[in-house]
Amino acid sequence: MNIAVKSPFEEKKANKLQSTRIAGKLVNDYWEMVWRAKEEGKLVCWYEGSAINPFLEAADICWVHGEAYSAMLAARHQEGTAQRVAEERGYMRELCSYARTHLGCAVSNQRLRGDNAGATPDEDDLTWKLPPPDMIISAYAYCSTGQQWDEMTSRVFGKKIPIFNVSLPWIWGSKPDAGYLRGQEWEETSTYVERQLFDMVKFIEERTGKPYPWDRLYSMMADIRRASELRLEAMELCTAQPAPASFFDWVVSIAPINNLPVAGVKDYFETVLTEVKQRVKDGEGAVPDEKYRLFFDGIMNWNKVGWLANKFAKWDAAVVAGRYTHMAFWQEPSLIDPNAPVRGMAQNYLICPNNHAAPILIDLIMGLCRKFKVDGMVIHASRTCRAFTNPQFMIADTAHKQLGIPTSMFEGDVTDESFYKDELLNSRVEAMLEAIEHRRMVHAA
Amino acid sequence: MERTQIIDSFAAAARDPLSYAKQWKARTGRPVIGSFPMNFPGELAHAAGALPMILQESDDPITVGHGLLFPFYCGYTRSMVDQAVRGDFDVLDAIMFGDHCVQLLGAADAIRMQLTNTRVIFFQLISSMCDPWTQGRSEESFAKLRAELEDFAGAKVQDEAMHASIRLFNKNRGLIRRLYDMRKKGIAPLGSVEMQHVVKSSMVMDKAEHTELLEKLVRIYDSAAPLPARNVRLHLSGHFCQAPKPELLEMIEQCGVTVVGDDLYHGFRYISTDVPEQGDPIAGLARWYMDRNTGVPCPTRVQNNVDWDAYLLNAMRDEKAEGMIVLMAKFCEPHMYYYPEVKEAFEKADMPHLLIETEHDGMALESLKTRVETFVEIVKHRQAA
Ligand code: SF4
Ligand code: SF4
Repeated sequence: MNIAVKSPFEEKKANKLQSTRIAGKLVNDYWEMVWRAKEEGKLVCWYEGSAINPFLEAADICWVHGEAYSAMLAARHQEGTAQRVAEERGYMRELCSYARTHLGCAVSNQRLRGDNAGATPDEDDLTWKLPPPDMIISAYAYCSTGQQWDEMTSRVFGKKIPIFNVSLPWIWGSKPDAGYLRGQEWEETSTYVERQLFDMVKFIEERTGKPYPWDRLYSMMADIRRASELRLEAMELCTAQPAPASFFDWVVSIAPINNLPVAGVKDYFETVLTEVKQRVKDGEGAVPDEKYRLFFDGIMNWNKVGWLANKFAKWDAAVVAGRYTHMAFWQEPSLIDPNAPVRGMAQNYLICPNNHAAPILIDLIMGLCRKFKVDGMVIHASRTCRAFTNPQFMIADTAHKQLGIPTSMFEGDVTDESFYKDELLNSRVEAMLEAIEHRRMVHAA
Repeated sequence: MERTQIIDSFAAAARDPLSYAKQWKARTGRPVIGSFPMNFPGELAHAAGALPMILQESDDPITVGHGLLFPFYCGYTRSMVDQAVRGDFDVLDAIMFGDHCVQLLGAADAIRMQLTNTRVIFFQLISSMCDPWTQGRSEESFAKLRAELEDFAGAKVQDEAMHASIRLFNKNRGLIRRLYDMRKKGIAPLGSVEMQHVVKSSMVMDKAEHTELLEKLVRIYDSAAPLPARNVRLHLSGHFCQAPKPELLEMIEQCGVTVVGDDLYHGFRYISTDVPEQGDPIAGLARWYMDRNTGVPCPTRVQNNVDWDAYLLNAMRDEKAEGMIVLMAKFCEPHMYYYPEVKEAFEKADMPHLLIETEHDGMALESLKTRVETFVEIVKHRQAA
C-alpha cells in the first residue's frame, strides 16, 4: 500500500484574500451579461487597453474588453482553441498573445456566425461565443500593437464595423519641467486626449442615435473614483509586515477596477479594504511565513496566477507590489472631477504602467520598492508583450544601483503558456533568495 | 562617370553610413542628425543645415546590446541599441524620431539612457491615418519638430530653406522612381542589391551629392533599349526598418528571378511620395505623411480605407510580376499582424507568394535557396499551364 506523506513545506499555500472570491463571481456575471447582449438587443462595442467602459456603460452599450477575454480564457485554461484558430489564419506565435487569442476568437466568431453556415458551435467552447461588435473603439496607450490589433479585428469582420481611434501619445519627458503628472508635455497631451474623448462621445451618439447621458457618466465616475481610493488605501496597508495581501490578490482585483459593471465595484473594494484592515490588526499575512518581500515587475502570466501565488508562498516570499497592479487602473483618482470627469479620465488613460518613458517610470518603481520595503525584485520577461519588457534591463540595473537589491528574471508570457519556463524561475528565484539571505548576514555581522 | 563607379559610391555610403557621416562632418563642420525609420522628414533637418541620416542596422553581431534589449526583438532595434552601447553613434549630434512602434520605443529609451550627451528628440506622429484630425495633428507634430530643430541649431528654420530642401528631396525621389520605372520596363537592369544601394545611400548621404550622382546614373539608361527578359518576374515585399541582407537578395536572384518591383522600406516605400512644393511647408509635410500611406500602405499605421494587400496586387499587375516574395524581419509585429490579410488576399487572387522570415544573426541561406527554387518552379509551371 502506498501512503502519500505530505511534507509541511508542500502544504504552504498563499493565504488569498477571501474577498477576492467575489471578484470571480463578478467576472462570471460580467461575461454572462456579455454573452446575452445580443439577445437583449444591446449594441456591442469591442475595445482593448484603456478603461473606456464607463463611457459605454453609461450609454447602455455592452462593452467587451479584449484582454479581459483572453486573460479569462487563459485563467480557465481554455485559450488553446483560440490560439490555434489564430495560427491557422496566419497570426504567428511571436505576436502579442493577448491579441492572438482575441483575434482567434474573432475569426472563430466570424466562421460560426458568418458565411460558414452549417458549422455547429460547441456550447462549452468560449472561443466563438463573444457577441460580434457593432462598433470598435481603439484607445491603447504606449503599445502600437494595441492599435494594430483593433485594426486587424476590424478587418477580420470585413471592415464593416465602424471604428474610432483615440491616439494616446507616449510621455517622453525630455524637457526640464517634465515629470510624473507635470510639465507642459503632460498638460498638452492631456488636452489632446481629452479633445478626442469628446469626439469619441459624438461617435457613440451616432451609434446609439441618442444624446449622450452625461449625468450617468458623472455618477459612475464618482463611484469609480471612490472605488479607486478604497483600492489604493487597501494596497497602501500592505506596507505592513507581514503584508496582508499580495500582488496576486491585486491581480485578481484588476477586473473589478478595470472592466466590470460599475455598480458592484465600490462594494467590492469596501469588502477588500475591510478584510485587509482586519488582517493588519490580526497580523495575518498573505503568505503563511513572510521572510522575504518582493516586487513583481511585468505583466501577469494569466495561466499561472494561483500557481505562482502558491509557489512564492512556499518560498516564504510575499510579493507585495508590482508595476502591473500598482501603477495603473484608475491609479490617480484625485484627477477625476466627478462633475467634469473627461480630462481626468484622459489623464488616467495616459498613466498606464508603460506610458511614461524610462526615467519617469523607473523613478516610480523605485519609489514603490522603497515604500513597500522590498528585499528583491522578480522580473517577468513576457515573451510577446514587449511593452512590459522594454525597460526591464534598466529597471533591474537601477534596482541594483539605487536600492542595492538583487533581481531575478524569468521568461513567461501573458497568455501563451508554452513560453513559461518553470525551471528557470525556480533556480533564479532561489538564487535571489540566497543572495538576500547573504546580504542579511553581512548586514547583521 | 561609369555606371559601376556611381553604384560603388552609393554602395560605400550604404555599407558604412557612420564613416560617411564622419567625413561629411569633417568636411562641412555641420551637425549630423540621426533618425529612426520610417517617417522622419529629412527635409526639415536638412533645412536646419544638418545632415539627416536614417540610422541603419549594422551587420555586426549583437554583443553588448544583449544587456539592454531581449533577444525576442527585431534585428533593427537590437542593432540600434548595440551600436549605441558600443559608441558607434558618437558622430551624431542628435537623434530624432516620430514613429512609435513598441519595439522602437524600447530601443529609444535604452539609447537615451546610454547616450547621455546626445539629444534624443521624440515627436509622436499620429498613426491613425484617416481621422478628421490626422492632418492637423501631423502638422502639430512636425511644427514641434521644427521648434526642436530651431532650438538645437540655435537659429530659425525659414520657410524658404524648407521649400528648397523639399524641392531637392523631391527631385531625388523622382529620379529614383524613374530608375524603378526603367527597371520595370527592362531598360535599367539594376539588380536588387544595386537598387538597395541606390535607396539606402539616399537615406544617409548628402542629398545634393546623391542627386548629382543619380542624375548621371539615370542619363546612362535614358537612351537604353529594353532587354529581353527570361527570368521569372517577382515583387519583393515587406522588410520595414532594416535593409534585407544583400546576400539574401543575391541568392534570390540566382534562382532565376528578376525583381521587377518592391515595396521595401529600403526600396520603393522610401521614395514613393513627394512633398507638395507650394504653400506652408509644415502643412506640406503633413500631407506627404498622409499621402505616403495611401500611396504605399504601411502596416505600422492604421487606415481602414486603404489595403496593403490590394495595393500589392495592383502594383504587381502593373509590374507584370508573376509572384511575390515576402521578406519578414523576425519579431516585426506590424508585419506579423498584417500578413494574414495579405496571405488571404493572395490566395483569393490566385497569386503565388513565398514568406521568408529573416534574422539579424545569420540565416541558413542554403535551405532558403531550396525553398526559393521550389517557389520559382511553381511560378514557372503556372505560367506554362
Ligand atoms: S503587447 Fe502587451 S501592451 Fe501591447 S497590446 Fe499586447 S498585451 Fe497589450
Ligand atoms: S516596425 Fe518592425 S522592424 Fe520596425 S522597429 Fe517595429 S518591429 Fe522593428
